[in-house]
Formats: sequence, structure tokens, C-alpha cells
Amino acid sequence: MTLSALPIPVEPPAPPRPALHQIAARQAERARLPDGGIDIDRLLALVSATYTETDVDRRRSDRANRLMAEELEVALAKSALQNLRFKAALDNMNQGLALFDAAGHLVLTNQRFLDIYGLNQATPGSTLDQVLRSSPYLSVSTASEHRRLVQEYDGAASAYGAKIEQRWPDGRTITIERTRLVDGGFLDTVADVTEARNASAQIAHLARHDALTDLPNRTLLRERLDEMMRNARRGDRCAMLCLDLDRFKLVNDTLGHPIGDALLVAVAERLVSLVRHHDVVARLGGDEFSILVQHVTSDHAIEQLCRRIIDELTQPFEIAGHHIQIGASIGVETVEVDSLDPDTMLRDADLALYRAKSGGRGNYCFYTPDMHVFATRRRELEIELRRALKSEEFEVHYQPQIEIGSHAVVGFEALARWYHPERGIVPPNDFITVCEEIGLIGAVGEFVLMRSCRDAACWPESVKIAVNLSALQFKSGTLPAMVARALRVSGLDPRRLELEITESAMLEDTAGVIKQLRELKRLGVLISLDDFGTGYSSLSHIRNFPFDRVKIDQSFVRDLGTNSDSLAIVRAVTGLCGSLGIMSTAEGVETLDQLNILVAEKCDSAQGYYFSRPVPLADTLPFVSRMLALQSRAA
Amino acid sequence: MWSKRINGSIETEAFPAAPDLVMVFGPTERLADQAFIDRLAERYDGAILTGCSSGTMVSGDQIDDDAVVVLGMGFDHTRLALAVQPLPDSDLSFAAGAGLARDLADDSLAGIFILSNGLNVNGSALVAGIRSAVGDTVVLSGGLAGDGARFSDTRVLARGGNPSDVVAAIGFYGDHVRIAHGSAGGWQPFGPLRTISDAAGSELRGLDDEPALALYERYLGEEAADLPASGLLYPLEIWDPQKPDDRVVRTLLAIDRDKGTLTFAGDMPQGWKARLMRGMFDDLINGASSAARHAADQAATWGVAPSACLAISCVGRRLLMGQRTEEELAAVSTVLGADIALAGFYSYGEIAPQNLTAVPCLHNQTMTITLIGERT
Repeated sequence: MTLSALPIPVEPPAPPRPALHQIAARQAERARLPDGGIDIDRLLALVSATYTETDVDRRRSDRANRLMAEELEVALAKSALQNLRFKAALDNMNQGLALFDAAGHLVLTNQRFLDIYGLNQATPGSTLDQVLRSSPYLSVSTASEHRRLVQEYDGAASAYGAKIEQRWPDGRTITIERTRLVDGGFLDTVADVTEARNASAQIAHLARHDALTDLPNRTLLRERLDEMMRNARRGDRCAMLCLDLDRFKLVNDTLGHPIGDALLVAVAERLVSLVRHHDVVARLGGDEFSILVQHVTSDHAIEQLCRRIIDELTQPFEIAGHHIQIGASIGVETVEVDSLDPDTMLRDADLALYRAKSGGRGNYCFYTPDMHVFATRRRELEIELRRALKSEEFEVHYQPQIEIGSHAVVGFEALARWYHPERGIVPPNDFITVCEEIGLIGAVGEFVLMRSCRDAACWPESVKIAVNLSALQFKSGTLPAMVARALRVSGLDPRRLELEITESAMLEDTAGVIKQLRELKRLGVLISLDDFGTGYSSLSHIRNFPFDRVKIDQSFVRDLGTNSDSLAIVRAVTGLCGSLGIMSTAEGVETLDQLNILVAEKCDSAQGYYFSRPVPLADTLPFVSRMLALQSRAA
Repeated sequence: MWSKRINGSIETEAFPAAPDLVMVFGPTERLADQAFIDRLAERYDGAILTGCSSGTMVSGDQIDDDAVVVLGMGFDHTRLALAVQPLPDSDLSFAAGAGLARDLADDSLAGIFILSNGLNVNGSALVAGIRSAVGDTVVLSGGLAGDGARFSDTRVLARGGNPSDVVAAIGFYGDHVRIAHGSAGGWQPFGPLRTISDAAGSELRGLDDEPALALYERYLGEEAADLPASGLLYPLEIWDPQKPDDRVVRTLLAIDRDKGTLTFAGDMPQGWKARLMRGMFDDLINGASSAARHAADQAATWGVAPSACLAISCVGRRLLMGQRTEEELAAVSTVLGADIALAGFYSYGEIAPQNLTAVPCLHNQTMTITLIGERT
């Protein structure tokens, strides 16, 4: 026997009385005759009218339904087109966009959203959780942070427009912004701001770092100082080292800026390797570095650090095939962090550096209060020099140049002297450098040139005047015009004026200097190369410009007779000059022995204490006469 | 208070006492008959006599297109006053409303029942005019006279005359009188959402930048020949897009084929949203029932049963429902019971407080119920 479901018989509910029954009842009532019978014609007319009405109503409904369907179809087509346009617009947005309904179910996303999350698709109806779970780019924490937004929104309805920024595991920076919608849903806008953030981070980095070496710059150094001051413990000491590279300018000038830059980078690397991680190595500009050393235990430790730095930077650098040797000078200031004033600390370390450099290169020096006195003294010197120029305290002395063969005076070298009202005569070494540093060299140089030309015009025609030019005098480009004016004013024969330049003048803007030298040559003046042998690319300079004279530096002359290397150099230079047709002059001749060697080496002329110190103008002509007399006696 | 409806002959049927208020609703041609009006005035001398024309009268739970229905009321503690204002042009509607309200205004004014001509009136402006003078504390109801599907002449019975260019209002005074209202349509919006793109006042030209007349003609098909009456089959639901919950129904009153305009029984603000509506018999009948229920619920708090019911339903409902029209009155009767004196007419516009806000306004296509009672 098998069992099967059997329909259970139920009593059907009593059907409601159909509307038409009610109508029929009313119609019957209306057709009722006074005697209780029915007026059949009247009843049929009413029934017929009902059929007609029902038919009309059905036709109206059909028509309305059909038209409504047509209209809705057109509206749907329009809406589909609109959706298509919307989709195109949404997909081409820079931001990713995901719309969720009030129940938190995904309504739509644009293509950018899928791209950002690395999704092939996001199914409408999914929850945010499901969407985030399917992204290959999110870590557990970034996804949960995004989800947290939902809770925040649900928790605080006022938190409209909140935004979070996430760093994703793949390195991207993503911002997520949520906007609550009127229907209770929300719109997540997602933007990949990696580039913008990187750029602003880069800008922020650049603002605080040196572009070349990537070391902290002055701004960051100041920030670190401030930070250190905030976090300092009582009695904590720190040191500021100001460091300058020795001979860096020469490297830059001779090997070019790219090599100079590479050297700075290499120096930076060495410096960083020498300090502890919490110390700060900063580049303040040019070849100036500073090192903030924290938690200093003793001066001795700092001294050791300074020595290590100097040792390390003195080791040769191999850069682009060049073997480069530089050095470093360091100024140090150590203070208790409690009493630190950043500006003062940097200034004092700088003063110490100045002292270190003035004591010869490759030194370090701790700041002492007397350095402040020295700095003050120098400021006074500047003021005095400006005054001296105005009140004509400068004078020119002349050192004779003697032709070695004939002992005739062939010229004088003009040398500036400062008649200080209180300190008496100040030699050029004590003020020329300062003049160069404070921009007075142009005016002092002009004074010397004008005065020398005027004085030389009174000398015999066979006597020339040699005037030193500072490298800085070439900078303005007006030197040829100034020389021309001096010649014009004095009436001196241009062939009697000899302008002496050092090699260093040739090093910077060589082309510009050579151009001005050629202009000077065209005026008819002679050009000599001063201090020859102490510079670097001597021979190329001699080749690049037709010098009339080369002056052999006194350091070689001084060692003649005692140092064979010096003799070799003097011999090489005089030989070179002889073969190139250039006159040679030896400077700093002090002994007869030196003179005899120069005679033997066929040097053309000489100057030095052996013949005469620099003398005032009044003594020049008598000296010429005396030498002339000596010469005739010898003859 | 007593009330009684007479739907036979005034000569043969009598009220139980001399009435204070007599309301007469009848076919236009009957109300245009001054001799008839004179007879009424003579018979009910001493009562306020008012009323209006219509294509279909309500008499209890039945309708009648030909008969005159008279509703008499006698009050024990309530003072009545009649105000009449000329209304020859719909542009004067606001002023006429304000004039009526000024005429009736009084500290003891409890309610106003209005009967206006049905063709030269902007019902919205008329109501706004009344509200401007008496505010929203005085309950206000009534309707615009009708003329069936003809739309050619409407009459208002007042001060012994039967002009087609006035509006009349009865003021009910004192704290014994009770008035309750209910208004509902039962129409359902259908088809696409539209925007009123071209309109001025109550004149509509464009929906969604298309001629509105063409839209009506398309939907009506061959019945377009019967415009404007057939336009009642498709009222418009309109609303301010800023207040989507506050919707009103507008019914078509007139068309101008030359100008391509449709005139509705109320303002058609440009920029408002609109949807066509249509009535399913059962929905309309349910609407009438709920209007009665709303009024009855208010009356249930009076402590006295309502004595009279004025049922004003829209002519559009009559046109659509045909012989089934009486079913909406049967529905009203079922709610209110057989004892109440129920009379009314099919109008060109209904006036009553909104069910939700109680702010009086012009309704279209509704069944509007006004219940009147008096506490002892």
C-alpha cells in the first residue's frame, strides 16, 4: 500500500456580492413600476447603458495602458541612453566611486574604483566588506580602516564628508571620502593621491635638504636644534662643528663644477659615515658643512672626531678618473643645550672656523671668547678701510726690477701701502684680502693704477711700471676701459705699462678674462703672469695667452742653491720662456748666489731685497740714477 | 438642531419647523428659473436660502440628474449669516474670498461654508483670500457649482437671486455648532513623471516641453471631442519638487484649442512635478468611504451625533463612474448611518481642510464631506 497526498476538502468561503449584482439590484429598483412590477424597457435601457459604460471604461483603460507603456518605453530608452552617458562620464573620472544604498549594498561602481582596488568586477548588491575582501591590494588593516568608516557614519550622522588617507601595502597613498546621501545610502569616493603625496613629500624634503648631497640644509638643522632643545635633559651638552673644505674652489675651478659637485657628494658620504646616527650633518652652502653633535661627553671626544674628519677628508678622492686631494678646517663650539642659542652657536663655530683657517689649513679650533674680539677687530678694519679710501690714506711704493745682464733698472713693481693714522704703514697682505672680501678691491686697484701711471710718466722712457691686478678686477668687465683711462690721464706710453695677473685670475671665467686681456693687449700694454709655479695648469695658461713676461714665484727663488727641485723648476721656466720668446723675471732675489744662478739660467730680470725694498716715489729716480752709475762703473 | 432633506416636491413635503437655513441643489435650468427661486423664497421666508446648480444631485445614498434636493436645518443655539461677493472674473477670486471673510469675521465665527460659481473662479485664490482675512482657525468647506459635462453655466442661489457670477458663504457662529470634514479622492497616478514646463496661473500649456493639450488628446482618443468634460477622466497630481509629500490634485475645467491651453481649477506652478491620474471604480469608492470616515472620526468626539451631511463630490467622478456613481454614496452612507440628512451635489471643485494639515484648500476630483451638528 502506498500513501499519497490527498486533497482535503474545504468549505469554499462565501463569495462577496459582485458589484454588478448591486447595480442590477439598483436598476431593478429604478425600473420598478408603482404597482410593484418591472418596466422591462426601462430595465433593459439601464442594463444596456451599463454595458456601454463598462465597455467605454475598458477601452479607456486599454488605451491608457498602451500609451503609458509607450511613454515608459521612450522614457526607458532615454534613461538607458542617459545611463550610458553617466557610465561613460563616471568611468572617465579620476576618482573611483562606489555608491551604496541605505542597507549598505553596492549599487554601482565606476571603472576607476575597480582599477584602484584591482577588481575585475563588483557585483551590485555586495556589501562593502565583500568588495574589500576581493581586492588583492588591501592588507587586513587597510581594509578594516575602510570598514571603520561605515561604523563611524552609522555612529555619528554628523560626520558627513569625512575622509581618511591610507598608505596601501603596494606603496600607493589612497584617500577615501564618504558622503551620506539623502536616501540613507552613501557614496565612497576613492582617489589615488600617490603622485601628489610623493610630490609634496619631495617638496617638503627639498625645502629641508640640500639638493646635491641630500644632507639636511640650514632649515632642517635649525629644526633639529629646536627639537634637541625641547627634548634636552639637564646638563646635556652638544657641539656645533663648522667645516670648510680646503682647496675646494680650486677643484671646482680647474676640474669643473660637475667634478666639484661629485666631490661634495663624496665628502658628504664620508662625513655621515663618521658621526652617530643622531648627529646631524648639514650642508650650509658651497663647501660649508656643519655637524651637530648631540650628547657630548667631553671636549676630548670632539677633538677626536675633528681629527677623524680631517684625516678622512684628507684621504684622496677618486672622482671620474681624477685623483683629488683636499683637506678640511673645522671650527667648534660646544654648549650646554639648556643655554643654547642657535644663531650664536652657529656664529661662534663659524668664528672658530675662521681662526682655524687663518692658522693654516687642515686644523680644527674650538671657539674662545677672544675670537669674538678678533671678529670685532675685523669689522673695525672694514670701516677703517672704507674711510682710508675716502681720506686718501693709501700710497704706492715701487720695487725696482733689474735687467740681470746689464743691471739696468727696467721697471718698478707698484705695491700699495696704507698709511694708517695711528698704526703707521700697513703692508698689503694685511688689507688686500679684506678689500677683496668687502668689495673695495676695485676702488683700491683703480687708485694704485692711476697713481702708478701718473708716477711712471715722470720716469725715463726705458723704465716700465708693473701693476698687480686682482682676479676680482676682471669680474666687472670694465678693466680695459679703466686702464685706457689711466693711460689717457697720465699720458703714459702703453708699452711702458705692464699688468701682472696671477694664475688664479685665469681660473674662473677663463674666456672672459682672456677676452679682457686681449683688449688690454690691443691698448699696447704688456701682460705678465705673476707668482708662476705656485698654481696648477701653468703651461696651458702660457699656451692660451701670449704673455709678455712670466714672473717666477719667490718660493722657488728663495730655495735656489739649497733645493735642487727649485733649480729644476727655475731652469724649466726660463728655458720655456726662452723658447717661447717670453721675458722671465725672478721675484724675491735676496742673495748674490741666487742672482748668480739666475744669470746662469738666463733669467731676464730680477727683483728683490738684494737690489732694493719697495721705495716711495721720491726714491725711485735716485735709484735709477744710482744703478745707471753702477752700470757705467761696471762698464 | 434638526435637519431634513426633501427630494420630492416642496409643495407636498414639509420641514418639522421653520428652518434657519435652506440649501438647494438642482439642475442649472431649474435654478435659472427665477419663478422657482421666488417660490422657494416665499416658502422659506425667514430662513437663509442658498444653494447652487449641478449636473447631478446627491440625495441620501442616491443620485439624481434631474431632481432638486432641498436640505433644511434648524438651530437652537447657533447664529447664521450669509455673505455674498460678486465674482465675474476668476482674477477677482482672491478679492472675493477676502471680502466674504471680512463680511463674516467675528470673534464667535466657528465655520464657513462656501458656494461659488463654478466657471469664473480660481478656487485656490478664493480660499487664499478667505484665509488671508480669518486665518486657519475657522473651519472652511464648500464647493464650486457644477453644470454636469456641459461646462456652460453655473448658478449660485443667494439673497433671492440666482446669478452666475457670485460667491456666497454662510457663517456659523457660537460655541455650540460643530463642523467636521473629510476629503479624499482615490485617484491613482500613472505613467511617466512629468514637469510643468509652461504655465501661468491656472493655465497649463506645456508638460516636459510638449503641448499639454496634445497629451490629453492622445490619452482621450475619440473622447477628446468631449473636452473639457472628458478631461476630468485624467486629473493631474502636482507637487512642488521641494515638498514631494505635499501633493494636490488638479482637475481640468476648460480648454482653448486656439491657444493650446488647458485651464485647471487651481494654480499650475511652473517647475512643479506632475503625473496623470486615473480612477478605478473601487479606488474611488474607497476614497469616498475614507472621506466619510475621516469626518465621522472627528464628529465622534463631539458628544452629539451630526445632524446634517453635505456631500460634495467632483463631476469627474460622476463622469467616470456612470451608473456605479451611487456606490460611492452608498459607501458614505454606510459610514455615516441612515439617520443623517445627507444632501449634496457633483461640483467643479471641492473646498475643505486637508486631512493631514487641516489647512483649508481647494480639492479636485474628491468626495468632500462636511458634517454639521449642534451641542445642546
